[in-house]
Amino acid sequence: MRILSFTLLLLLLAATSYGQGEPEKKLKPKRTDNYIRMRGIRLGMDVTRPFQDLWTKGNRYGSEFSADLEVWPNWFSVFESGYEVMKIKTEFIDYTGQGSYSRIGFDYNFLQAAHKNDKDVLFFGLRYGFSLARQKVNQYWVDSYWGPVTGQFGNQNYFAHWGEFLLGIKGELFHNFYMGWSVRGKVKFNHKSLWMPPVYFIPGYGKAEKGFNLDFTYSIYYNIPWDFRKKKSAKTPEIKK
Amino acid sequence: MKRFVYLIFVLIIVNSCKEVFEIPPQAFVQASFLNSSTKAAISQKVTAWGSGQEYLWVKDSLLQKILLPLSSNDTTSFVISFDSKIDTITFIHQTMQKFGSMESGFYFEYKLQSIDYTNNQIDSILITDSLVTKKWNENIKLYLTPSATGGN
Repeated sequence: MRILSFTLLLLLLAATSYGQGEPEKKLKPKRTDNYIRMRGIRLGMDVTRPFQDLWTKGNRYGSEFSADLEVWPNWFSVFESGYEVMKIKTEFIDYTGQGSYSRIGFDYNFLQAAHKNDKDVLFFGLRYGFSLARQKVNQYWVDSYWGPVTGQFGNQNYFAHWGEFLLGIKGELFHNFYMGWSVRGKVKFNHKSLWMPPVYFIPGYGKAEKGFNLDFTYSIYYNIPWDFRKKKSAKTPEIKK
Repeated sequence: MKRFVYLIFVLIIVNSCKEVFEIPPQAFVQASFLNSSTKAAISQKVTAWGSGQEYLWVKDSLLQKILLPLSSNDTTSFVISFDSKIDTITFIHQTMQKFGSMESGFYFEYKLQSIDYTNNQIDSILITDSLVTKKWNENIKLYLTPSATGGN
C-alpha cells in the first residue's frame, strides 16, 4: 500500500513538472566594456605597511610596492613585493624577525565601466606569496628562584609560502593617479620548521602559528602612461591585398 | 573633526592594550605529605629554602603539599624544616628548555631521575610522576615518620 501511494505521488509530481515545461535559461549578458582600460603598468605603494605597529602586538613595520598590468580586458596580472620587520621586546625576550616577500597573482574586475574613461575597478584577486626570512633571539631571560637564566639564539633562516584571496577597489583620483584598498584572507601552505624557537613571524603573512590571517592594504598608485601595446601593434606588418 | 578625534582615541586605546604580554609558565615539583604508617595525607608546618640560597621559598606554612622550583642545572637541593627538624632533598633531573611564546619567552621542564634525601623526618620518597611540567600535578609522595608528624 505504501509503495503504491509513493508511486502515485511520484506520478503526480512528474505530471505537474511536465506541465510547467523547461525553465528558461538565464544567460549572463556579455560585458560591454570588453576592452583594455588601463594602458601601461601601474606602480603602487602600500601606505599601511610602515604603520602596522598601531594594530599589531610588538613592533611591526615595513614597506611594500606593487605593479599591475591589464593583460586582458578586466584581468590584471599583479606582482607585489616588500620587506617587513617584527620586533618584540618584553621582560622575557628580545626577538627580531625580518625578511622579504613577494606575491604574484591576478585581479578580476567586476565593475562594468560606464564609459571609456571610467577606470575604477572593484576586484576579486588571488595571490601566491612566498617569503625568505630570518629570525633571531637577541636575548632571553628565564626568571627563577635559583636566579635568572639568560641566553640567545643566533640567526635562523627560513622559507614560507601561502595563498591569498582578496577583495578590493581601485579608483582614479586624478589623471593616472589611483588609490585603493583591499581586504585579504591569507592561508598558509607551509614553512620551514625550526626547533627552537619555532618560526614566529612570516614577512608578508603574519604570525606563523596561525593557519589563516586576515589583513588589509591601502595603497596609492601611478599608472605609467606608456602604451606598449600600441607600439607592438605598430610593428605588425600590414597584409597586402 | 569629532570623528577624527574619536579615531585617534580608538587608536591610542588599541595601541595601549596591545602591549600587555603573557607571563611565562613555570614548572614545579609537587610533593604531597603523607604519614608513613597510615599512608594518610597530613598537614605539616613547613619552612623550605634552596641549598645555598639566601631567600626562603616557604616560611612557617601549614601545608599538605608543596611546590618546589628546580634549577636549570641537573641537580637541585632543598632544605626542608618540618616543625624544626630538618631534612635535605636532592633532586637529580634532566632539564629541558621549552618555548612558551614569543611574548613570554622560554621556560624549563624537567624529568626526575632520582632523589636523595636525609632521614631525620622523611621516612621515604616515592616518585609518582617523573615529568615536571607547566601542568602541575603530584610528582612525589613524601612519607614522614609518625613521631615527626605533628600535623593532622
